[in-house]
Amino acid sequence: MREPNAIDFWRGVALVTIFINHIPGNFFERYTFSQYGISDAAELFVFLAGWSIGLATRGRDGTPEPRLTTVLRLLSRTIEVYRAQIVIMSLALAMIAGCALYLDNPLILEWHNAGGFFADPIQTMVGIVVLTHQLGFFNILPLYVVLIAIAPIVVLLGRVSRALVLALSFSLYAASLVFEWNLPSWPGEGDWFFNPLCWQLLLVLGFVSNEASRENPRLRSLARRLTPLGIALVALGFVLAVWELRPDPMLAPEPRLVFTFDKTYLSPGRLIHFCGMVLAFQAVYGLIAPRVMPLARFLSGLGRNSLAVFSMGSLLSLAGQFVRFQTGGGIIVDVSVVGSGLFALGFTAWFVEWRARKPRAPRTPPDGAASRPASPPA
Amino acid sequence: MAPVQAAEALDQSLSPECRVPGSKLYTLAKLNAVKAALKEKRPVRVLSIGSSSAGLGTGSSYPVKLENALESALPDVQVEVESRSLPGEVASGAGERLRTLVAEVEPDLVIWQVGTNDALARVDIDSFAEALDDSVKWVMSHDIDIVLIDPVFTASLAEDDYYNRMVSTVQEVARREAVPLVHRYAAMRFLSTRGTDEAHMLGHRFRLNDLGLRCMAEHAARAITLSLLQSDPAKPDPKSDAKPDPNTIPDRTGTAARPTPGRDSTEAAPATRGN
Repeated sequence: MREPNAIDFWRGVALVTIFINHIPGNFFERYTFSQYGISDAAELFVFLAGWSIGLATRGRDGTPEPRLTTVLRLLSRTIEVYRAQIVIMSLALAMIAGCALYLDNPLILEWHNAGGFFADPIQTMVGIVVLTHQLGFFNILPLYVVLIAIAPIVVLLGRVSRALVLALSFSLYAASLVFEWNLPSWPGEGDWFFNPLCWQLLLVLGFVSNEASRENPRLRSLARRLTPLGIALVALGFVLAVWELRPDPMLAPEPRLVFTFDKTYLSPGRLIHFCGMVLAFQAVYGLIAPRVMPLARFLSGLGRNSLAVFSMGSLLSLAGQFVRFQTGGGIIVDVSVVGSGLFALGFTAWFVEWRARKPRAPRTPPDGAASRPASPPA
Repeated sequence: MAPVQAAEALDQSLSPECRVPGSKLYTLAKLNAVKAALKEKRPVRVLSIGSSSAGLGTGSSYPVKLENALESALPDVQVEVESRSLPGEVASGAGERLRTLVAEVEPDLVIWQVGTNDALARVDIDSFAEALDDSVKWVMSHDIDIVLIDPVFTASLAEDDYYNRMVSTVQEVARREAVPLVHRYAAMRFLSTRGTDEAHMLGHRFRLNDLGLRCMAEHAARAITLSLLQSDPAKPDPKSDAKPDPNTIPDRTGTAARPTPGRDSTEAAPATRGN
């Protein structure tokens, strides 16, 4: 088990933010950082995923692990994430259907894009398995599956030339923005909510930042010196978000997506704001962690077990939505829903680690002898 | 809501199981962008958004039905329906997503089935009203027509004060901005009172929901064709199209303007008017 650290801490922050924001209308929603900037927790999550891929594919002494090991490690992680997505989608659909039946309320069947499944289960079932049918709020893991699946290319190419990886990644991003490339939804029209062709850039940026700053102290001190620029960008984002100033997509010049604040395509405005956030907050963990150790420990625990915590968080926020709907919401309900949710997330993280380290029973059958390793951080 | 006349006749142009009196079905208003498209004899581009608008490929889905219903109500007119689901709440960000979708599709007409997600999240009604109003104004400011469809009727929420206020908020915004509204709630409530032999494996209310989905396309197409008729003066005169019509009262019900049942679907075809 890793000690609390900045990466796990910020990933924990992203997880808690996503959990709260996925219970729309709740009291705490307006106090998450997503409301005060152009970018939000999704960017943080993907950037840190890229950062940790760099950590996970090197030994403790910093030497790169064998190429085949990297490919297999990331393949195994892809399967884990895919499995998590299928499981939470099945459970979510069952929760929606069960809730509609229990409350005798067909309105619930129309919950954020679930209607398609209930109206046309034959095609939609295929769409769920191939990740082209996504429910609202359940669309981050499909992105993550694609990103981790292409990560071996990023890592192996990155060992040859980081500049090449960055150039390729940026070209794909720019072309997708200009030509509006995206993966299609099916069944149904439209595209993926998180466009992997654009969001891959953030994963690559996370990966390259980690690799470059590990070896190059000058780069680290340059990043430090750019902190005021980051703060200025964050302040600008704050003003734009609070006054709801954003470009009108109908008035934006072509290529339109370059000038709007579009989440699907990770428009440059969002990307620049996020880079500002990284620069502004790069040293914050070191400053606050010693003062708020229990909080740092809690959030790092969530971040260490991000896949399990994210999956549980998705289901808990869905349950929280139903509780709010049926009770009518209000501050007491919101405090209970969010409070018990955070407790459950903490328990999830603890439970995953307990399962990983619990001693095996002495009469372990031969085929179960291999102990399960703790999930890799990527 | 419009006053209901005693024993008002059902709208015979609809399929038998979807028949509802006009006053329970729509509020009419002008659709200038669609009329312009018709006058230029180009296909009408429709963007359908909302919870049931994922646009599944099967012939039974709402967007496909909508396209069929519009094409049969407007013969000789090519209608292209693009449909998109709109996850999220209007009160928190879905309005932003709507703008992106509209900019991407650049339609003549937006048909927005609105309110379900906000009702499920129990968002503050005032912020919902404000955000919806903003979005409708924005669409209209770009010379694109918009038709709103209010949320479903379900017996388990018939007494729910919040939900009823949500439905009336959609109606208020439609009235304030003078855009056509499909009274999905009232239509389904009406249909729920009609006896039927049809059963549903999940019980009565789920059958109603099924029916509501099936009828929504027809109801929307009806409101749109009548709105196109209504925004014209009595005598078709292409030159007067662009001028505001003082006789158009936004919340006037379709019943008053409804032409003779059975014949109106051909009369309502504006493509034939200009010839």
